[in-house]
Amino acid sequence: MISMKDYKPKILCFKCNFGWGYLDDKKEINAIVKNMVPVTCSGKVDSTHILSALKEGADGVLILGCCQGECHFQDGNYQTGKKILLIKKLLTSFGIEPERVRMIFSIDPEGDKIPIEIENMKNEISRLGPIQINKSAMA
Amino acid sequence: MAVKPKVAIYWLGGCGGCDEAIVDLNEAILTVADAVEIVLWPVAMDFKYSSIEKMNDGEITLSIIHGNVRNSEHVEMANLLRNKSQLVLSFGACANYGGTPALANFRSKADIFNWVYKNSPTVVNPKGVFPQTLSEVNGHKLTLPEFFDHVYALNQVIDVDYYLPGCPPPPDLIANAVFAVLSGKLPPKGTTLSPHMAMCDACDRNKTKPFKLEIKEVKRIHEVEMDSETCFLAKGVICMGPATRTGCGNTCVSTNVPCRGCFGPVTHECDTGAKFLSAIASLLKADSDDQVEKVVDSVVDPAGYFYRFTQAASILHKFDENTKRRCP
Repeated sequence: MISMKDYKPKILCFKCNFGWGYLDDKKEINAIVKNMVPVTCSGKVDSTHILSALKEGADGVLILGCCQGECHFQDGNYQTGKKILLIKKLLTSFGIEPERVRMIFSIDPEGDKIPIEIENMKNEISRLGPIQINKSAMA
Repeated sequence: MAVKPKVAIYWLGGCGGCDEAIVDLNEAILTVADAVEIVLWPVAMDFKYSSIEKMNDGEITLSIIHGNVRNSEHVEMANLLRNKSQLVLSFGACANYGGTPALANFRSKADIFNWVYKNSPTVVNPKGVFPQTLSEVNGHKLTLPEFFDHVYALNQVIDVDYYLPGCPPPPDLIANAVFAVLSGKLPPKGTTLSPHMAMCDACDRNKTKPFKLEIKEVKRIHEVEMDSETCFLAKGVICMGPATRTGCGNTCVSTNVPCRGCFGPVTHECDTGAKFLSAIASLLKADSDDQVEKVVDSVVDPAGYFYRFTQAASILHKFDENTKRRCP
Protein backbone atom coordinates (compact mmCIF):
# COMPACT_ATOMS: atom_id res chain seq x y z
CA MET A 1 0.00 0.00 0.00
CA ILE A 2 1.45 3.34 -1.05
CA SER A 3 1.46 5.98 1.65
CA MET A 4 -0.08 9.30 0.70
CA LYS A 5 3.32 10.95 1.19
CA ASP A 6 4.96 8.85 -1.53
CA TYR A 7 1.94 8.94 -3.79
CA LYS A 8 2.63 10.43 -7.20
CA PRO A 9 -0.48 10.48 -9.34
CA LYS A 10 -0.27 9.40 -12.96
CA ILE A 11 -2.16 11.63 -15.37
CA LEU A 12 -3.00 10.59 -18.90
CA CYS A 13 -3.35 13.62 -21.16
CA PHE A 14 -5.13 13.69 -24.51
CA LYS A 15 -4.30 16.88 -26.40
CA CYS A 16 -5.85 18.16 -29.59
CA ASN A 17 -3.15 18.75 -32.20
CA PHE A 18 -5.02 21.67 -33.71
CA GLY A 19 -5.09 23.75 -30.53
CA TRP A 20 -2.29 22.60 -28.25
CA GLY A 21 1.48 22.54 -28.75
CA TYR A 22 1.59 22.38 -32.53
CA LEU A 23 4.46 24.90 -32.79
CA ASP A 24 6.70 23.45 -30.11
CA ASP A 25 9.59 21.05 -30.34
CA LYS A 26 7.91 17.67 -29.89
CA LYS A 27 10.99 16.05 -28.39
CA GLU A 28 11.22 18.76 -25.79
CA ILE A 29 7.63 18.50 -24.63
CA ASN A 30 7.69 14.71 -24.68
CA ALA A 31 10.70 14.83 -22.36
CA ILE A 32 8.77 16.93 -19.86
CA VAL A 33 5.33 15.40 -20.16
CA LYS A 34 4.80 11.65 -19.79
CA ASN A 35 1.70 9.77 -20.86
CA MET A 36 0.48 12.25 -23.45
CA VAL A 37 -1.61 11.11 -26.39
CA PRO A 38 -1.84 13.61 -29.27
CA VAL A 39 -5.16 13.32 -31.12
CA THR A 40 -6.31 14.98 -34.31
CA CYS A 41 -9.40 16.30 -32.53
CA SER A 42 -10.55 16.03 -28.92
CA GLY A 43 -13.80 14.67 -30.40
CA LYS A 44 -11.83 11.50 -31.17
CA VAL A 45 -11.49 10.72 -27.45
CA ASP A 46 -14.04 8.03 -26.68
CA SER A 47 -15.49 7.21 -23.28
CA THR A 48 -13.93 3.73 -23.46
CA HIS A 49 -10.48 5.38 -23.79
CA ILE A 50 -11.05 7.37 -20.62
CA LEU A 51 -12.50 4.51 -18.58
CA SER A 52 -9.81 2.09 -19.79
CA ALA A 53 -7.12 4.60 -18.82
CA LEU A 54 -8.51 4.75 -15.27
CA LYS A 55 -8.73 0.97 -15.13
CA GLU A 56 -5.19 0.49 -16.43
CA GLY A 57 -3.58 2.65 -13.79
CA ALA A 58 -4.12 6.34 -14.56
CA ASP A 59 -5.21 8.34 -11.51
CA GLY A 60 -6.69 11.08 -13.67
CA VAL A 61 -7.41 11.87 -17.30
CA LEU A 62 -6.96 15.35 -18.76
CA ILE A 63 -8.37 16.29 -22.15
CA LEU A 64 -7.10 19.44 -23.83
CA GLY A 65 -9.52 20.64 -26.49
CA CYS A 66 -9.85 23.79 -28.55
CA CYS A 67 -11.87 26.83 -27.45
CA GLN A 68 -15.63 26.45 -27.69
CA GLY A 69 -16.79 27.21 -31.22
CA GLU A 70 -13.29 26.91 -32.71
CA CYS A 71 -13.05 23.20 -33.48
CA HIS A 72 -11.26 22.49 -36.76
CA PHE A 73 -13.83 19.78 -37.41
CA GLN A 74 -16.87 21.90 -36.51
CA ASP A 75 -17.80 20.66 -33.02
CA GLY A 76 -15.62 17.74 -31.87
CA ASN A 77 -14.64 19.53 -28.66
CA TYR A 78 -18.30 20.32 -27.89
CA GLN A 79 -19.24 16.65 -28.38
CA THR A 80 -16.50 15.43 -26.06
CA GLY A 81 -17.43 18.11 -23.52
CA LYS A 82 -20.86 16.49 -23.21
CA LYS A 83 -19.23 13.05 -22.92
CA ILE A 84 -17.11 14.32 -20.03
CA LEU A 85 -20.15 15.66 -18.16
CA LEU A 86 -21.87 12.28 -18.50
CA ILE A 87 -18.71 10.37 -17.53
CA LYS A 88 -18.45 12.44 -14.35
CA LYS A 89 -21.97 11.32 -13.43
CA LEU A 90 -21.05 7.73 -14.31
CA LEU A 91 -17.90 7.79 -12.18
CA THR A 92 -19.86 9.08 -9.19
CA SER A 93 -22.22 6.11 -9.49
CA PHE A 94 -19.22 3.77 -9.50
CA GLY A 95 -17.85 5.46 -6.36
CA ILE A 96 -14.98 7.24 -8.16
CA GLU A 97 -14.39 10.98 -7.73
CA PRO A 98 -15.57 12.92 -10.81
CA GLU A 99 -12.57 15.28 -10.46
CA ARG A 100 -10.40 12.56 -11.93
CA VAL A 101 -11.57 13.50 -15.41
CA ARG A 102 -11.16 17.06 -16.61
CA MET A 103 -11.50 18.84 -19.92
CA ILE A 104 -10.02 22.23 -20.73
CA PHE A 105 -11.22 24.30 -23.69
CA SER A 106 -8.42 26.65 -24.69
CA ILE A 107 -5.63 27.26 -27.19
CA ASP A 108 -1.88 27.08 -26.65
CA PRO A 109 0.16 26.73 -29.88
CA GLU A 110 3.54 26.67 -28.08
CA GLY A 111 2.35 24.10 -25.57
CA ASP A 112 3.81 25.98 -22.59
CA LYS A 113 0.62 25.52 -20.59
CA ILE A 114 0.48 21.74 -21.06
CA PRO A 115 2.94 20.83 -18.25
CA ILE A 116 1.35 23.48 -16.02
CA GLU A 117 -2.17 22.11 -16.51
CA ILE A 118 -0.93 18.56 -15.88
CA GLU A 119 0.84 19.71 -12.72
CA ASN A 120 -2.32 21.49 -11.53
CA MET A 121 -4.29 18.31 -12.02
CA LYS A 122 -1.62 16.22 -10.29
CA ASN A 123 -1.86 18.48 -7.26
CA GLU A 124 -5.59 18.07 -7.10
CA ILE A 125 -5.45 14.29 -7.57
CA SER A 126 -2.73 14.06 -4.88
CA ARG A 127 -5.33 15.14 -2.37
CA LEU A 128 -7.72 12.39 -3.52
CA GLY A 129 -5.14 9.60 -3.44
CA PRO A 130 -5.25 6.41 -5.53
CA ILE A 131 -8.60 5.30 -6.92
CA GLN A 132 -10.55 3.23 -4.46
CA ILE A 133 -14.05 2.11 -5.24
CA ASN A 134 -16.08 3.66 -2.47
CA LYS A 135 -19.47 2.00 -2.49
CA SER A 136 -20.85 4.04 0.39
CA ALA A 137 -20.30 7.19 -1.70
CA MET A 138 -22.17 5.80 -4.67
CA ALA A 139 -25.20 7.68 -5.88
CA MET B 1 -28.45 -48.09 -29.33
CA ALA B 2 -26.01 -45.27 -29.81
CA VAL B 3 -24.98 -43.33 -26.74
CA LYS B 4 -26.71 -39.97 -26.68
CA PRO B 5 -24.71 -36.82 -25.93
CA LYS B 6 -25.26 -35.65 -22.38
CA VAL B 7 -26.58 -32.17 -21.73
CA ALA B 8 -26.84 -30.30 -18.42
CA ILE B 9 -28.92 -27.17 -17.90
CA TYR B 10 -28.24 -25.27 -14.72
CA TRP B 11 -29.18 -21.96 -13.14
CA LEU B 12 -26.93 -19.88 -10.97
CA GLY B 13 -28.13 -16.42 -9.85
CA GLY B 14 -31.01 -16.08 -12.27
CA CYS B 15 -34.77 -15.69 -12.27
CA GLY B 16 -35.59 -18.86 -14.20
CA GLY B 17 -36.72 -16.93 -17.26
CA CYS B 18 -33.96 -18.59 -19.26
CA ASP B 19 -35.36 -22.03 -18.36
CA GLU B 20 -38.73 -20.73 -19.50
CA ALA B 21 -37.15 -19.69 -22.80
CA ILE B 22 -35.81 -23.24 -23.30
CA VAL B 23 -39.32 -24.61 -22.74
CA ASP B 24 -40.52 -22.05 -25.30
CA LEU B 25 -38.75 -24.12 -27.95
CA ASN B 26 -42.16 -25.86 -28.06
CA GLU B 27 -42.18 -28.88 -30.38
CA ALA B 28 -38.47 -28.48 -31.12
CA ILE B 29 -37.70 -29.42 -27.54
CA LEU B 30 -39.05 -32.92 -28.28
CA THR B 31 -36.43 -33.30 -31.01
CA VAL B 32 -33.77 -32.09 -28.59
CA ALA B 33 -35.01 -34.46 -25.87
CA ASP B 34 -34.84 -37.37 -28.35
CA ALA B 35 -31.36 -36.47 -29.49
CA VAL B 36 -29.73 -35.93 -26.08
CA GLU B 37 -29.73 -37.28 -22.57
CA ILE B 38 -30.50 -34.50 -20.10
CA VAL B 39 -28.46 -35.22 -16.98
CA LEU B 40 -29.25 -32.08 -14.97
CA TRP B 41 -32.08 -29.54 -15.15
CA PRO B 42 -33.16 -28.60 -11.63
CA VAL B 43 -36.09 -26.44 -12.69
CA ALA B 44 -37.74 -29.21 -14.71
CA MET B 45 -36.52 -32.57 -13.45
CA ASP B 46 -35.22 -34.19 -10.28
CA PHE B 47 -31.50 -34.91 -10.37
CA LYS B 48 -28.88 -35.12 -7.65
CA TYR B 49 -25.68 -33.12 -7.72
CA SER B 50 -23.88 -36.22 -6.46
CA SER B 51 -24.63 -38.02 -9.73
CA ILE B 52 -22.83 -35.23 -11.61
CA GLU B 53 -19.89 -35.42 -9.20
CA LYS B 54 -19.51 -39.14 -9.98
CA MET B 55 -19.18 -38.50 -13.71
CA ASN B 56 -15.84 -38.51 -15.52
CA ASP B 57 -14.32 -35.20 -16.57
CA GLY B 58 -15.66 -34.15 -19.97
CA GLU B 59 -18.46 -36.74 -19.88
CA ILE B 60 -21.14 -34.08 -20.41
CA THR B 61 -21.14 -32.82 -23.99
CA LEU B 62 -22.76 -29.46 -23.29
CA SER B 63 -23.58 -27.51 -20.16
CA ILE B 64 -26.00 -24.65 -20.61
CA ILE B 65 -25.45 -22.34 -17.66
CA HIS B 66 -27.55 -19.28 -17.02
CA GLY B 67 -27.62 -16.78 -14.18
CA ASN B 68 -24.77 -14.81 -12.66
CA VAL B 69 -22.32 -15.81 -9.95
CA ARG B 70 -23.30 -14.25 -6.63
CA ASN B 71 -22.39 -16.77 -3.95
CA SER B 72 -20.02 -19.64 -3.16
CA GLU B 73 -22.54 -22.29 -4.22
CA HIS B 74 -22.66 -20.74 -7.69
CA VAL B 75 -18.87 -20.94 -7.93
CA GLU B 76 -18.89 -24.57 -6.79
CA MET B 77 -21.52 -25.61 -9.33
CA ALA B 78 -19.96 -23.58 -12.15
CA ASN B 79 -16.60 -25.27 -11.53
CA LEU B 80 -18.18 -28.72 -11.23
CA LEU B 81 -20.01 -28.36 -14.55
CA ARG B 82 -16.94 -26.87 -16.22
CA ASN B 83 -14.86 -29.89 -15.21
CA LYS B 84 -17.45 -32.42 -16.32
CA SER B 85 -18.29 -30.71 -19.63
CA GLN B 86 -16.67 -30.54 -23.04
CA LEU B 87 -18.51 -27.31 -23.86
CA VAL B 88 -20.02 -24.60 -21.68
CA LEU B 89 -22.61 -22.25 -23.13
CA SER B 90 -23.02 -19.03 -21.16
CA PHE B 91 -26.74 -18.50 -21.58
CA GLY B 92 -28.58 -15.22 -21.16
CA ALA B 93 -27.71 -11.71 -20.04
CA CYS B 94 -26.97 -12.64 -16.40
CA ALA B 95 -24.38 -15.30 -17.27
CA ASN B 96 -22.85 -13.19 -20.04
CA TYR B 97 -22.71 -9.75 -18.42
CA GLY B 98 -24.15 -10.02 -14.90
CA GLY B 99 -27.68 -9.03 -15.95
CA THR B 100 -29.95 -6.79 -13.90
CA PRO B 101 -28.82 -8.41 -10.61
CA ALA B 102 -25.36 -6.94 -11.29
CA LEU B 103 -26.80 -3.48 -10.63
CA ALA B 104 -26.31 -4.57 -7.02
CA ASN B 105 -22.60 -3.93 -7.65
CA PHE B 106 -23.40 -0.26 -7.11
CA ARG B 107 -23.99 -1.17 -3.46
CA SER B 108 -21.90 -3.00 -0.90
CA LYS B 109 -22.83 -6.31 0.67
CA ALA B 110 -23.35 -4.51 4.00
CA ASP B 111 -25.77 -2.02 2.37
CA ILE B 112 -27.74 -4.86 0.80
CA PHE B 113 -27.92 -6.93 3.99
CA ASN B 114 -28.92 -3.90 6.06
CA TRP B 115 -31.75 -3.09 3.68
CA VAL B 116 -33.03 -6.63 3.08
CA TYR B 117 -32.79 -7.92 6.66
CA LYS B 118 -33.15 -4.78 8.76
CA ASN B 119 -34.19 -1.42 7.31
CA SER B 120 -36.71 -2.33 4.63
CA PRO B 121 -40.18 -1.09 5.73
CA THR B 122 -41.73 -4.56 5.58
CA VAL B 123 -39.03 -6.23 7.68
CA VAL B 124 -39.33 -6.75 11.45
CA ASN B 125 -35.99 -7.86 12.84
CA PRO B 126 -35.48 -6.34 16.32
CA LYS B 127 -32.62 -8.70 17.19
CA GLY B 128 -30.77 -7.81 13.99
CA VAL B 129 -30.44 -11.43 12.84
CA PHE B 130 -28.42 -11.71 9.65
CA PRO B 131 -27.74 -14.86 7.59
CA GLN B 132 -24.51 -16.61 8.61
CA THR B 133 -22.45 -19.07 6.61
CA LEU B 134 -22.33 -21.29 9.70
CA SER B 135 -24.73 -21.41 12.64
CA GLU B 136 -25.57 -23.96 15.29
CA VAL B 137 -29.14 -24.86 16.22
CA ASN B 138 -29.89 -27.56 18.83
CA GLY B 139 -26.45 -29.03 18.35
CA HIS B 140 -26.77 -29.15 14.58
CA LYS B 141 -24.46 -27.21 12.32
CA LEU B 142 -26.30 -25.35 9.57
CA THR B 143 -24.48 -23.88 6.63
CA LEU B 144 -25.35 -21.33 3.95
CA PRO B 145 -23.32 -20.34 0.88
CA GLU B 146 -21.17 -17.22 1.27
CA PHE B 147 -22.80 -14.14 -0.26
CA PHE B 148 -20.13 -12.23 -2.19
CA ASP B 149 -19.62 -8.48 -2.25
CA HIS B 150 -19.92 -8.63 -6.05
CA VAL B 151 -22.05 -10.11 -8.79
CA TYR B 152 -19.87 -11.76 -11.44
CA ALA B 153 -20.44 -12.80 -15.02
CA LEU B 154 -19.87 -16.52 -15.63
CA ASN B 155 -16.66 -16.00 -17.65
CA GLN B 156 -15.13 -14.16 -14.70
CA VAL B 157 -15.24 -17.42 -12.75
CA ILE B 158 -14.88 -20.26 -15.27
CA ASP B 159 -13.74 -20.71 -18.86
CA VAL B 160 -16.68 -20.33 -21.26
CA ASP B 161 -16.84 -21.72 -24.81
CA TYR B 162 -19.82 -19.90 -26.32
CA TYR B 163 -22.16 -17.08 -25.44
CA LEU B 164 -25.86 -16.68 -26.12
CA PRO B 165 -27.15 -13.27 -25.02
CA GLY B 166 -30.65 -12.03 -24.23
CA CYS B 167 -33.04 -11.66 -21.34
CA PRO B 168 -34.00 -14.33 -22.12
CA PRO B 169 -32.43 -15.57 -25.37
CA PRO B 170 -35.07 -16.04 -28.08
CA PRO B 171 -36.09 -19.61 -29.04
CA ASP B 172 -34.70 -19.40 -32.60
CA LEU B 173 -31.18 -18.60 -31.36
CA ILE B 174 -31.44 -21.30 -28.67
CA ALA B 175 -32.44 -23.90 -31.27
CA ASN B 176 -29.61 -22.79 -33.59
CA ALA B 177 -27.09 -23.04 -30.75
CA VAL B 178 -28.21 -26.48 -29.57
CA PHE B 179 -28.41 -27.95 -33.06
CA ALA B 180 -24.99 -26.48 -33.93
CA VAL B 181 -23.52 -28.40 -30.98
CA LEU B 182 -25.38 -31.60 -31.89
CA SER B 183 -24.27 -31.42 -35.52
CA GLY B 184 -20.70 -30.43 -34.60
CA LYS B 185 -20.87 -27.32 -36.81
CA LEU B 186 -19.42 -24.93 -34.30
CA PRO B 187 -17.88 -21.50 -34.81
CA PRO B 188 -14.54 -20.62 -33.15
CA LYS B 189 -14.43 -20.76 -29.35
CA GLY B 190 -15.57 -17.56 -27.67
CA THR B 191 -18.15 -16.70 -30.34
CA THR B 192 -21.41 -15.05 -29.39
CA LEU B 193 -24.09 -17.07 -31.13
CA SER B 194 -26.21 -14.22 -32.42
CA PRO B 195 -26.04 -11.70 -35.29
CA HIS B 196 -23.16 -9.25 -35.07
CA MET B 197 -24.87 -6.00 -36.04
CA ALA B 198 -26.29 -3.33 -33.75
CA MET B 199 -29.99 -3.23 -32.91
CA CYS B 200 -30.55 -0.08 -35.00
CA ASP B 201 -29.50 -1.99 -38.13
CA ALA B 202 -32.39 -4.41 -37.68
CA CYS B 203 -34.96 -2.00 -36.26
CA ASP B 204 -37.99 -1.15 -38.40
CA ARG B 205 -38.16 2.27 -36.73
CA ASN B 206 -34.74 3.18 -38.15
CA LYS B 207 -36.25 4.53 -41.36
CA THR B 208 -38.13 7.22 -39.42
CA LYS B 209 -34.94 8.50 -37.83
CA PRO B 210 -34.38 12.11 -38.90
CA PHE B 211 -31.21 12.97 -40.85
CA LYS B 212 -29.92 14.98 -37.91
CA LEU B 213 -30.97 13.45 -34.63
CA GLU B 214 -31.01 15.90 -31.72
CA ILE B 215 -32.30 15.45 -28.19
CA LYS B 216 -33.01 18.67 -26.32
CA GLU B 217 -34.52 16.96 -23.30
CA VAL B 218 -34.47 13.29 -22.37
CA LYS B 219 -37.99 11.97 -21.84
CA ARG B 220 -39.28 8.88 -20.16
CA ILE B 221 -41.55 6.59 -22.11
CA HIS B 222 -44.72 7.68 -20.26
CA GLU B 223 -43.99 11.34 -21.02
CA VAL B 224 -44.35 11.00 -24.77
CA GLU B 225 -47.00 9.61 -27.06
CA MET B 226 -45.25 6.86 -28.97
CA ASP B 227 -46.55 5.35 -32.17
CA SER B 228 -45.44 2.06 -33.64
CA GLU B 229 -43.12 3.53 -36.28
CA THR B 230 -41.12 6.44 -34.87
CA CYS B 231 -37.54 6.04 -33.62
CA PHE B 232 -37.46 6.34 -29.82
CA LEU B 233 -34.38 8.54 -29.85
CA ALA B 234 -36.13 10.94 -32.24
CA LYS B 235 -38.75 11.42 -29.51
CA GLY B 236 -36.09 11.95 -26.83
CA VAL B 237 -36.61 8.52 -25.23
CA ILE B 238 -33.38 6.69 -24.41
CA CYS B 239 -33.10 3.54 -26.51
CA MET B 240 -29.96 1.41 -26.20
CA GLY B 241 -30.25 0.24 -29.84
CA PRO B 242 -27.14 2.05 -31.15
CA ALA B 243 -24.82 0.15 -28.79
CA THR B 244 -26.65 -3.17 -28.42
CA ARG B 245 -26.28 -6.36 -30.43
CA THR B 246 -29.27 -7.46 -32.47
CA GLY B 247 -30.82 -10.93 -32.66
CA CYS B 248 -33.61 -10.51 -30.14
CA GLY B 249 -36.31 -10.33 -32.81
CA ASN B 250 -37.09 -6.72 -31.82
CA THR B 251 -39.36 -7.95 -29.04
CA CYS B 252 -39.25 -4.74 -27.04
CA VAL B 253 -39.35 -2.13 -29.81
CA SER B 254 -42.22 -3.93 -31.53
CA THR B 255 -44.25 -3.60 -28.33
CA ASN B 256 -43.51 0.13 -28.05
CA VAL B 257 -40.79 -0.21 -25.45
CA PRO B 258 -37.26 1.09 -26.16
CA CYS B 259 -34.31 -1.31 -26.24
CA ARG B 260 -32.82 -1.75 -22.76
CA GLY B 261 -29.63 -3.44 -23.94
CA CYS B 262 -30.04 -7.07 -22.79
CA PHE B 263 -28.08 -8.42 -25.78
CA GLY B 264 -24.95 -6.63 -24.62
CA PRO B 265 -22.25 -5.10 -26.78
CA VAL B 266 -21.69 -5.75 -30.48
CA THR B 267 -18.71 -7.86 -31.59
CA HIS B 268 -15.27 -6.47 -30.64
CA GLU B 269 -16.73 -4.15 -28.00
CA CYS B 270 -16.69 -4.98 -24.32
CA ASP B 271 -18.52 -2.14 -22.63
CA THR B 272 -22.05 -1.38 -23.83
CA GLY B 273 -22.54 1.42 -21.32
CA ALA B 274 -19.44 3.37 -22.31
CA LYS B 275 -20.18 3.04 -26.02
CA PHE B 276 -23.76 4.13 -25.51
CA LEU B 277 -22.60 7.04 -23.39
CA SER B 278 -20.53 8.29 -26.33
CA ALA B 279 -23.49 7.82 -28.67
CA ILE B 280 -26.07 9.61 -26.52
CA ALA B 281 -23.66 12.42 -25.64
CA SER B 282 -23.34 13.31 -29.32
CA LEU B 283 -27.14 13.38 -29.70
CA LEU B 284 -27.77 15.75 -26.79
CA LYS B 285 -28.36 19.26 -28.08
CA ALA B 286 -28.33 22.45 -26.03
CA ASP B 287 -29.64 25.76 -27.36
CA SER B 288 -26.71 27.60 -25.79
CA ASP B 289 -23.46 26.72 -24.03
CA ASP B 290 -24.85 27.47 -20.59
CA GLN B 291 -27.68 25.00 -21.24
CA VAL B 292 -25.36 22.01 -21.88
CA GLU B 293 -25.25 20.89 -18.26
CA LYS B 294 -29.02 21.10 -17.98
CA VAL B 295 -29.51 18.85 -21.03
CA VAL B 296 -26.91 16.37 -19.76
CA ASP B 297 -28.58 16.37 -16.34
CA SER B 298 -31.83 15.29 -17.97
CA VAL B 299 -30.16 11.87 -18.33
CA VAL B 300 -31.14 10.53 -14.94
CA ASP B 301 -28.90 7.78 -13.53
CA PRO B 302 -26.70 7.10 -16.59
CA ALA B 303 -24.83 4.27 -14.83
CA GLY B 304 -28.02 2.40 -13.95
CA TYR B 305 -29.56 2.92 -17.37
CA PHE B 306 -26.56 2.30 -19.60
CA TYR B 307 -25.38 -0.73 -17.60
CA ARG B 308 -28.82 -2.17 -16.87
CA PHE B 309 -27.71 -5.65 -18.02
CA THR B 310 -23.95 -5.32 -18.32
CA GLN B 311 -22.53 -3.83 -15.11
CA ALA B 312 -20.46 -6.89 -14.22
CA ALA B 313 -18.78 -6.84 -17.65
CA SER B 314 -18.09 -3.09 -17.57
CA ILE B 315 -14.58 -1.66 -17.68
CA LEU B 316 -15.00 -0.01 -14.28
CA HIS B 317 -16.30 -3.15 -12.58
CA LYS B 318 -13.25 -5.07 -13.75
CA PHE B 319 -11.19 -2.23 -12.30
CA ASP B 320 -12.35 -3.01 -8.79
CA GLU B 321 -9.58 -4.78 -6.88
CA ASN B 322 -12.06 -7.12 -5.25
CA THR B 323 -13.15 -8.39 -8.65
CA LYS B 324 -9.70 -9.74 -9.38
CA ARG B 325 -9.84 -11.85 -6.24
CA ARG B 326 -12.18 -14.34 -7.82
CA CYS B 327 -11.54 -13.67 -11.47
CA PRO B 328 -8.82 -15.73 -13.11
